[in-house]
Amino acid sequence: MSELLGFRAVEAGYGEARVLHGIDLAVGENERVAILGRNGVGKSTVVNTFLGVARLRAGEVRFRGAPQRSLQHFTAARAGVAVVLQGRHIIPNLTVRENLLLGAAVRRPGAWNLEGVFELFPVLRERADTPGTALSGGQQQMLAIGRALMANPALLVLDEPSEGLAPVIVDELAVVLRRLADGGTGLLLIEQNFGLVRRVAERYYALSKGQIVDQGRLADLSLAKLKEHVAV
Amino acid sequence: MLLQTLNGLVYGGLLYILAVGLVLIFGLRRVVNFAHGSLFMVGAYVGYAIATHFGNFWLGLVVSVVVLAVLGVFLDAVVFRPLQREDPIVTVLVTFGILLVLEDAVRTIWGKDFLSLKPPAALAGTVQILGESFPTYRLFVIALAAAVAIGLSLWLRMSRIGLFVRASSVDRTTTAILGVNTDRVSVLVVAAAGVSGRVSAPVLALSPCMGRLILIDSFIVVVVGGLGSFSGAFFAALIIGQLHNFGVVYLPWAATMIPFLLMVGILIWRPSGFAGQHV
Ligand SMILES: Nc1ncnc2c1ncn2[C@@H]1O[C@H](COP(=O)(O)OP(=O)(O)OP(=O)(O)O)[C@@H](O)[C@H]1O
Ligand SMILES: [Mg+2]
Repeated sequence: MSELLGFRAVEAGYGEARVLHGIDLAVGENERVAILGRNGVGKSTVVNTFLGVARLRAGEVRFRGAPQRSLQHFTAARAGVAVVLQGRHIIPNLTVRENLLLGAAVRRPGAWNLEGVFELFPVLRERADTPGTALSGGQQQMLAIGRALMANPALLVLDEPSEGLAPVIVDELAVVLRRLADGGTGLLLIEQNFGLVRRVAERYYALSKGQIVDQGRLADLSLAKLKEHVAV
Repeated sequence: MLLQTLNGLVYGGLLYILAVGLVLIFGLRRVVNFAHGSLFMVGAYVGYAIATHFGNFWLGLVVSVVVLAVLGVFLDAVVFRPLQREDPIVTVLVTFGILLVLEDAVRTIWGKDFLSLKPPAALAGTVQILGESFPTYRLFVIALAAAVAIGLSLWLRMSRIGLFVRASSVDRTTTAILGVNTDRVSVLVVAAAGVSGRVSAPVLALSPCMGRLILIDSFIVVVVGGLGSFSGAFFAALIIGQLHNFGVVYLPWAATMIPFLLMVGILIWRPSGFAGQHV
């Protein structure tokens, strides 16, 4: 199994404040990994660090085994790592179609294209020419996922995709994520919704106060322990 | 009457092009570029110098376009990029400083009097339209301004780079995370903003404060049209272009005030401009 994303002894934060204290993690090709943790423990900061939004103070971030000397916002995308940011970040002055095309700014060879995304999420086809932010929350989440797929990523990172979605929509999301994984896309799922985590991930890291306090296979994690890691 | 309308169109077209430049630079770099108008002025003077020295109007136009592109790339790298994380008031002071420096430089080299450039021989005549005679050169400028305004809109709407430009001008971070090198997009935009301003207006009458005057009207276009809306800016520019020209002819004492009054009126009626989203 070759590694797509790796952290070694990562210390990171914003300005002078440190949020992550010595994080080690690795996600391999076609793996399904979850990061669990309560509000404010630094889950999004993990993402922000490899995106060059938070500041890497010590340690190392690797894409496909290669240590990165300078992390620009676009470095991850160019290494085949696409991110669905927490809060979706749909570009408001672009239509649904244009948001999707923007996702293809850097594209690896692969099967995903506009047609494929429209088949996965038919509602996006119906509303292709409306402004992206005119969609409902669930539809915007589909748009954000579709946009990330347009790059044909080797690894898809999703930061709390279930946030604000109705339970039936979360069920649909689980099905979609499983389909993507079956199609060969690696997943890094940051979640507090334990139902979604159990249906999608095979391995997990549990984060608390900027440190990894537990990790292992999800099959070996009791429901009580899982709930404790994500207790809301 | 027809003449006035057409002159208003030229001015409106130019305002639109400068306003789009301002909006894009603000979106990409969070910089309110007070030097934008003076770039346009520097371009006009460089064009004048080359045209009179070599006796070739077209050479002047081409050289000044190249000079502006280079100046744009330089400004973006040396000024806007380092400033983008600063307080807005710092960027306003710095770009205003650049405006003063450029105006002074031009005044020192060419003097403060109006200079005038002869149109090229091919465009020196007049054309009859609906019984009125019309300078060929004016028609040429109208066609050019229209072509640049339409070209700019199409480029933003239809091209891949145009999509990146629109996206980065509202959400730079997300656009970059999707893989776009937004610094490169910014350089391109700053250069294109200067160049399109220059190409669309091979003006014949030059003065060191021409950049400042047109900049004020361009800001009004941005505000009236709604910050960030290209179609809003388009209509605002057409209206202000007409008001400006009719004002100059029929109410000269009030000409400079009319656009301001319009702006105040619009802001009272719709605080975010006619096509602006509420923020
Ligand atoms: N852009 C930022 N600038 C400064 N501090 C930040 C920024 N983003 C997050 N923080 C701080 O970093 C800490 C960790 O935040 P982070 O967003 O990583 O948590 P999280 O685990 O993703 O929480 P949530 O579940 O609420 O999304 C918090 O104390 C937060 O206030
Ligand atoms: Mg978060």
